[in-house]
Amino acid sequence: MDRRAFLKVLSAVPVLGGLAAFLAPVLRYLKPNLEPGLGVPQGKVPPDLAEGDLPKGEPLPIATLEELREPWSSKFFVFTQKYPQYTPELAKAATVPGVAIKLPWKLAFPGYKGGREPTDVVIFSRICPHLGCIFNYVPNWREVTAGYGGYVPPEDRRHGLMACPCHLSIYDPADREQPGRVLSGPAPRPPRYFTYEIRDGVIVVTGAEPGGIA
Amino acid sequence: MWDRLREWFRERKEKLDLFDETQVDRQDNPLYILGQIVYFSWIAVVVSGILLMIWYEPTTHGAYNSILRIQKEVPLGWLIRGVHKYGADMLILAITLRIYRMYFLGEYKRPNELSWMILFGSLVLAMISGLTGYLLIWNQRAFWAAKVVLTVAVYLDELPVIGQTRFGSAIAFAFLGGPAEGQGTLTRFYAIHFGISALLLVAAEIYFYFTRRRRFVLSPTALVVLTLMLVVTSYVFPAEMGRRADPNRTPLPILSDWYFLALYQYVKYTPPLWAGLGPGLLIAYGMLVPFLDRSKGRRPAERPFFTVVGVMALVYFLVFTALIMFNIAVIGRDPHVVLLVTAATLALGLVLEFRYRRRRKLAEAAAPAPAPRAAPARAAAG
Repeated sequence: MDRRAFLKVLSAVPVLGGLAAFLAPVLRYLKPNLEPGLGVPQGKVPPDLAEGDLPKGEPLPIATLEELREPWSSKFFVFTQKYPQYTPELAKAATVPGVAIKLPWKLAFPGYKGGREPTDVVIFSRICPHLGCIFNYVPNWREVTAGYGGYVPPEDRRHGLMACPCHLSIYDPADREQPGRVLSGPAPRPPRYFTYEIRDGVIVVTGAEPGGIA
Repeated sequence: MWDRLREWFRERKEKLDLFDETQVDRQDNPLYILGQIVYFSWIAVVVSGILLMIWYEPTTHGAYNSILRIQKEVPLGWLIRGVHKYGADMLILAITLRIYRMYFLGEYKRPNELSWMILFGSLVLAMISGLTGYLLIWNQRAFWAAKVVLTVAVYLDELPVIGQTRFGSAIAFAFLGGPAEGQGTLTRFYAIHFGISALLLVAAEIYFYFTRRRRFVLSPTALVVLTLMLVVTSYVFPAEMGRRADPNRTPLPILSDWYFLALYQYVKYTPPLWAGLGPGLLIAYGMLVPFLDRSKGRRPAERPFFTVVGVMALVYFLVFTALIMFNIAVIGRDPHVVLLVTAATLALGLVLEFRYRRRRKLAEAAAPAPAPRAAPARAAAG
């Protein structure tokens, strides 16, 4: 490399640096979330959302224990979460559909008392952890085989299953080791769970496992 | 180095031919008006799109209803919308066919590398434009297609080293306008959908200005036939509405636009990180194929390996599309079959390639020793 080329390369460094310095705020322009200190007055962000990108939701009673008495019975519900966003209200609501399923046996479920006490009610977010479609709880496993790509569950899993219409992931809500275990399909992990409490015989959803796109 | 790059670029720029203007005197061959069809349908789509903007309402509550009104109530609304939709289909079909033509006939070779790369990039942009435009209807199919595609980006965070910047999530958030699909997504998609064509139109005008090429070389007959095709299709098959988007319910057979169907089937088979990497590699292959293919000849038989790869891509596209339309997928079995078939086909391509090269070498040795290697390849091939 001759002297002239070397000097050219050398002078390109500050030019590229300047370009990057110009582009960085442009990229920030694309980011939709609010951040305190970035032009948004401190008090204006709703106080319960002030912790950044994590969503927040109000506790939601979804069903009584009486409603979910039969094994494999279920109840669908929709949980609402709010995110800090550049909207006129400075907060945007997103809905997370969920399903509560009554199991015939008890197991440790991380959404109930942190998994310390066994329970026979499991509550999952119906947002598929694969690519975000809404999956279904199918009480009859034969419907899973017929409609979701011909998966035939092994003998001991022929009960209610959860199955996603988009890419045919199939989950077992009643797996004793890992509730929501992936039985088939491209899903990388079990569906996200809801945390819940039981207040006077009513199942109250208090929050959702964070992560994923709602 | 720098000067050589500039020289390379200058030469390609002179030969740049984006809309087949210099080849259109071969009017006997419909394959060589594909570039003109691309330009024609693009202009039709832009004009009808601007007309649609008069009635369209870009809100999650109003979008579906406003399009219903365009389709059913506004005088000639069905025609404008039909021309927009079927014009876009025609555009993507023409680009795709033109890409296959250029691929199988080796037209991406020197000095057409740049034309090929721009054309291939325009296919990607046209598909993004199709995806963003489809969401504007705010129906079930579009809603879930958008969500699936943007969730694929999130998995790029799993990549080693560069994944730690969480750029995948950043891409998803930038397109979604938030951590969930909603009004922000619709607004941003509207801007992208319009912006791609607006910016490219300016770029095309710059191209026409500097190369002094003509815009329309199509014969009047071809123009009338193409226009009639759009009008008649819009009348006979009114553009579909689908069902209104419901964020809390995914319908069971869920499909996408026809050009994404094969990709949808592929996504069922792979771990989610590869759902993003696979198409990325495909685009990279398409962009780089003029530099990977060092063979001398242009005819398919003169470069067996690349021909086999092209045929395989075409067959996969058709087979995957058929599989997803009939909702056939055995997750436990199919991925192995696909991998095996791919490996076998690539091996076959290599075998054919080596056999062809050895034969040519033998033929060259047997030939009565031609003088220097000035005009070898063409002569040997012909």
